[in-house]
Amino acid sequence: MSEFHLTEDQQDCLQEIINIAMGQASDQLARYLDTFVYLKVPSIESIGAKDLLQTLSQQKNTMAVVSQGFFGYEGIRGEALLSYQEEDSGRIADLLGYEPDELSKDEQLIDISSILTTTFLNVFARQIDNQMSYNAPKLLPSVQNSLSEHLQEMTFNWDLALKVNISYQVTDYSFNCNMILLIPETAIVNIKHVLDRILAEF
Amino acid sequence: MFDINAMTSLKNTSKSALTEPVIKQINIQIANQINTGVLVLDAEFNIVLWNRFLQIHTDKDAANIIGQSIFIAFPELPERWLSRKLSAVLQLNTPSFCSWQQRHHLFELPHTRPITTDSEFMAQNCTFLPIETECKHKHICILIEDVTDVCHYQGQLQKTLEELAQMSRIDGLTQIYNRRHWQESLVQEYAKSRRHTKNLSLIMLDLDLFKLLNDNYGHQCGDMVLIEISALISSLLRVEDIFGRYGGEEFAIILPETNLTGAMELAQRICHSIATAQLKYNGQAIKVTVSLGVAQLSEQTSSYEELITHADLALYQAKSQGRNQVCSATNMATN
Repeated sequence: MSEFHLTEDQQDCLQEIINIAMGQASDQLARYLDTFVYLKVPSIESIGAKDLLQTLSQQKNTMAVVSQGFFGYEGIRGEALLSYQEEDSGRIADLLGYEPDELSKDEQLIDISSILTTTFLNVFARQIDNQMSYNAPKLLPSVQNSLSEHLQEMTFNWDLALKVNISYQVTDYSFNCNMILLIPETAIVNIKHVLDRILAEF
Repeated sequence: MFDINAMTSLKNTSKSALTEPVIKQINIQIANQINTGVLVLDAEFNIVLWNRFLQIHTDKDAANIIGQSIFIAFPELPERWLSRKLSAVLQLNTPSFCSWQQRHHLFELPHTRPITTDSEFMAQNCTFLPIETECKHKHICILIEDVTDVCHYQGQLQKTLEELAQMSRIDGLTQIYNRRHWQESLVQEYAKSRRHTKNLSLIMLDLDLFKLLNDNYGHQCGDMVLIEISALISSLLRVEDIFGRYGGEEFAIILPETNLTGAMELAQRICHSIATAQLKYNGQAIKVTVSLGVAQLSEQTSSYEELITHADLALYQAKSQGRNQVCSATNMATN
């Protein structure tokens, strides 16, 4: 147990906030995309840089990963990674209401990622009286082999991160994707302060 | 831009606190002096504001542009896709992005390096932001950043990387594949033919009495012969064949989806073409011949190295039978 780990109360509180945010986000997304969007109950855990590689390498057939950084007040910041598998991304243009020939496959992935990330995090930020800014989503360079191989090439400047795993499902378009929010250790301390404040208000 | 609320809340504590009109003036001047295009649209996508950057980068009449639909003012915009993207900004209240890496530019604008880059239009990163004001309807702010420089240098870097990758695969003298790349290709072709149970054949060939040629005519003559022979063999191959320099005067050809008969035919053709080639060095006619060993991947072959060994043994036999000829690995077994 270090200063970067959440207490049981903090963990419950964060879980609750994320559940509410997910409900609202899926409602907004459903209205925009005009189809049902299912979000599975998320998992929250503290994860070491090494374990992250392990977890991610278990995801087979990852075709593409889109990364988008987010920043809020009070030092809340992190990175959202959205991973896609070949079989789950054939109809993204359709889902977004574009003509398939209007944009490249890469741009489809980036557009849907941005919508999923920012919609969820905006609602999440509102729950904690915050406001997020984002940088432009980036397609990580070729992850044809596997995501872990890509991550292995990066040197992490953190040891521990808070990992929130949320999976999206749009059954009408056989679309699935996995969103992993990673909050580096310095920002964990900040999020703990916010959670403590919320807990104190109850 | 500065947050007026945040700034004005300071006024009780700081003597130099700015008044709201001053902050507004500062904001307006910054908006007009930054090197980023700023365009504000109403909920119907009509232009309600633009900054100086856009005014000077478009030839459009400022008087006409305000109130005009963005799709009429900028007919080059992909209307269907962009209006869907803009509706997402309004409906979901989230920012949206468009990077030069996926779409070189949205707006056809001139840029600051028309002479030193080959780009016709400004490469852009665009950001679409939802704006909420006292006004009942939402607005969208479009930020247009000039990234022509980034795009230009990224293109050059990509080109250089491709050249480097190409160079690392090529033998400097003969301009055919080097040993390393050739061997990597063989590993791949071996795996492919095993997986799909396809034919695979190999030709190893060696210039006859090359040492003698170097001794008699000098190494420059030897180099010339290596270059000419490589070019001659290349001209006899199919695109899918992989031709490499294996060692000093030794060459090797991978023949995907080729059986022994096909490989033998090609080897005979190479042998004959080289023997009858009219090579000249300093006006002197040079006679060159090659010996070739051919092997086909069989069920018994347990590795790609073994395939090389088979072709090598056949080559050795061709040499020992008097050079300028072709031997196959199966001939050896029966002989």
